[in-house]
Amino acid sequence: MSELTQELKAKIITQLNLEDLTVDDLDDHTPLFGDGLGLDSIDALELIVMLDKSYGIKLSDPKEGRKVFETVQTMADFIEANRK
Amino acid sequence: MTPIVPIAVTGMGAISAIGNNVTENFRSLVDSKHGIAPIRQLDTWHRERLLAGEIHMDNAELYDRLQLSREAAYTRSTLLALMATKEAIETAAFKPGDGYRTGLISATTVGGMDATERYYDDYLVSEKNRSFIQTHPCGYAAEQMGKYFGVSDFITTISTACSSAANAIMLGARMIRAGQLDRAIVGGTDCLSRFTINGFNSLMIYTDGHCKPFDENRNGLNLGEAAAYLVLEAPEVARKRMKSPIAYLTGYGNANDAFHQTASSDNGEGAYLAMRRALEVSGLNPRDIDYVNAHGTATPNNDLAEGNALLRIYGSASAIPPFSSTKAFTGHTLAAAGAIEAVFSILALQHQVVFPNLNFSQPIASLGIVPQTALTEQRIDHVLSNSFGFGGNCSTLLFSKDHD
Amino acid sequence: MTKPIYIHGSGCVSVQPTFEAGYFFDHVTSYTQNPVPALDPDYKAFIPALQLRRMNKSMRMAIFASRMAMQQAGITTVDAIITGSGLGCLRDSERFVEALRTDEGSLLNPTPFIQSTHNMAAAALALSLGCKGYNMTYVNNANSFESALLDAMIYLTEHPAATILLGGVDELGERTTQFWDLANYLKRDDATIPTPLIEQATPGEIATEGATFFVASQEPGDHTFGKIRAVETRLEVDAPEIFISGFLQRNGIEAETLDAVVLGYNGDSRYDEIYRTLGSSLFANLPQIAFKHVVGEYDTVVAAALFLALGIFQRQHVPQRLLLNHSSIPPILRRILIYTQRRGQNHSVILVEK
Repeated sequence: MSELTQELKAKIITQLNLEDLTVDDLDDHTPLFGDGLGLDSIDALELIVMLDKSYGIKLSDPKEGRKVFETVQTMADFIEANRK
Repeated sequence: MTPIVPIAVTGMGAISAIGNNVTENFRSLVDSKHGIAPIRQLDTWHRERLLAGEIHMDNAELYDRLQLSREAAYTRSTLLALMATKEAIETAAFKPGDGYRTGLISATTVGGMDATERYYDDYLVSEKNRSFIQTHPCGYAAEQMGKYFGVSDFITTISTACSSAANAIMLGARMIRAGQLDRAIVGGTDCLSRFTINGFNSLMIYTDGHCKPFDENRNGLNLGEAAAYLVLEAPEVARKRMKSPIAYLTGYGNANDAFHQTASSDNGEGAYLAMRRALEVSGLNPRDIDYVNAHGTATPNNDLAEGNALLRIYGSASAIPPFSSTKAFTGHTLAAAGAIEAVFSILALQHQVVFPNLNFSQPIASLGIVPQTALTEQRIDHVLSNSFGFGGNCSTLLFSKDHD
Repeated sequence: MTKPIYIHGSGCVSVQPTFEAGYFFDHVTSYTQNPVPALDPDYKAFIPALQLRRMNKSMRMAIFASRMAMQQAGITTVDAIITGSGLGCLRDSERFVEALRTDEGSLLNPTPFIQSTHNMAAAALALSLGCKGYNMTYVNNANSFESALLDAMIYLTEHPAATILLGGVDELGERTTQFWDLANYLKRDDATIPTPLIEQATPGEIATEGATFFVASQEPGDHTFGKIRAVETRLEVDAPEIFISGFLQRNGIEAETLDAVVLGYNGDSRYDEIYRTLGSSLFANLPQIAFKHVVGEYDTVVAAALFLALGIFQRQHVPQRLLLNHSSIPPILRRILIYTQRRGQNHSVILVEK
């Protein structure tokens, strides 16, 4: 599991151009949106593309993303439960 | 603020998925005949998969109708613009070069992108289509239009995403008012392109069915292609020419939502401010408005924001005048939307009818506002028309039957 | 008619260090390449990292130049934002075209599409300043900035108490630069900045990029650099001299009362003749100043000429590298005319006064 969260953090940083951050700066439980990391709806769409391209998981409704992308941990849990 | 001198509208032209001229567009609106169908012409992976409002004339036919040499490079947005502008100039019954300072203010977001995306690699290896390289910039279409019609006193192009044409119409009025022009041909054009279809699809706001503006279960837009242009004139110029105006542009407002790159604020701040400013400029009260031609793209975000802005202007759902989005007829025509809907607003004034908002069944729960769903005859003196775009660009135009 | 507008601050990002305090073209950075990207200032000084990460170069340059102008004018808010950009956010447009050409049908990254729209620089400014006022973007090829300027003059006539941001921005693309080369717009041999002019000129332009922004209002203030009296554009003219004399006449000015002219010489031997003819007729007795040979060519580069003209008023000094003739410079520089065109089209004149 922690391997997946580390991998996710690296992917999030690259995909979203968070160039000032390192994997160690990201906590598994920090909210990615709102008052946490401050990501927005465009980032959520980018994360949907990432889920599809890296893990073969498709989200057809952006609203589903809100729960999935709450934290790095919730993302990892979702991927574990859904990846083929 | 003292109300502006109303600007005369003396001609208009339109081409969209529901008609090749203004009369055909009106007929379709009255008959509730929409133009949304599976993509057939555009060469895209999404052909036969996504629904869009295509114009049923290919470029070759447009070249012929406009009597253009096949050797010359015209992209589809320009061809559509030439068709609509020709009709606008004909109905306004003037000849460019008649001594009145005439400007051309066009709007586009696609520009020559349809050629660029087609020849992107081809240009590098073959000389055959390189004459299209120069068509890429958004400003090129208006320059070609100016040359085609002999309009040279002033030419410019505006690109503010989906509010572009409304801003072009607004600038024309302001330049006439400022004494810079006697007359302005104003409007917008955007053809369908792989760029925009894939773009809206990547934002996950392209519906897999028919768009449902202002419906609780709306899930995105259909794109369309269109061009529409108006001829605006200083009232005294129209009078001197003994040309009676078909309507007056009495108000306009432009604001920025300053909330997010793409999303509108939930309370519709930019939309609210644009409508407020248009009303202020005209000196009219919200209750003077008889019909609102809404932006109503049928994305979850736009319709919520616009609905909230209407509620803020009117105070309650019951106070909002009859309103509808005509996007379910034409699709969202991007930079042309503000112009095609200006034409529809003027048709509403001319024929005293409110056009239906198609595909509506259930009001948005949090708003409780219900658009007009059937063609309705009623007295219409003033129409508000909204156009909002990415980047928070919000514009509202106000058209009136008479100017007092 | 419109009234003059006063400029209270300006900021410029270009291939020269125009964003450095005290810089004024006395030293010119040389290049031997084509295209030449603009120098990058420290964007982080004005833009928070979370916003900066997604911004393309147009957005970055526009915000930086605007903030410089606002700092100079001593203001933190504006009432309206009016911009010009001939080609918009080119690099993101190219990225999205490339993505759809290879991956159409699968999920595409939305960010390049969102940021491809031409109004994104003006939108980024509105967002970063929280400005809900009038917001406009002109995309009129090499007259994009002039359209924005004309709108600014009308807007300030309508709103006499307002303070606005006015500017132009254009960025280089990669593939698009190749296209321009295929269309024979660009200089291939001996592409250098400073670009040799007149007798030494060769065919083609040097493609560059940049952003120049101004704070403007209808009233003079403590920081006022000068005022813009009038602007006019024409897509095509039969004779530039007639267009320019007509403009001067419409503004009640004799050519002899100008203190200098800024001309759009860019070292493209195919079109520089237009300026040369004027330089030996209408402007024969005036100091002639060039600027594109040090900042290159792009659609909104005329905004950099305005930046230069205002700087000349402020410093009462014409940088030697920019002066083309040996006409004596008047003791006080008060009135400058800017005339440019591009590839024989998009002619414009701007009248600037101290």
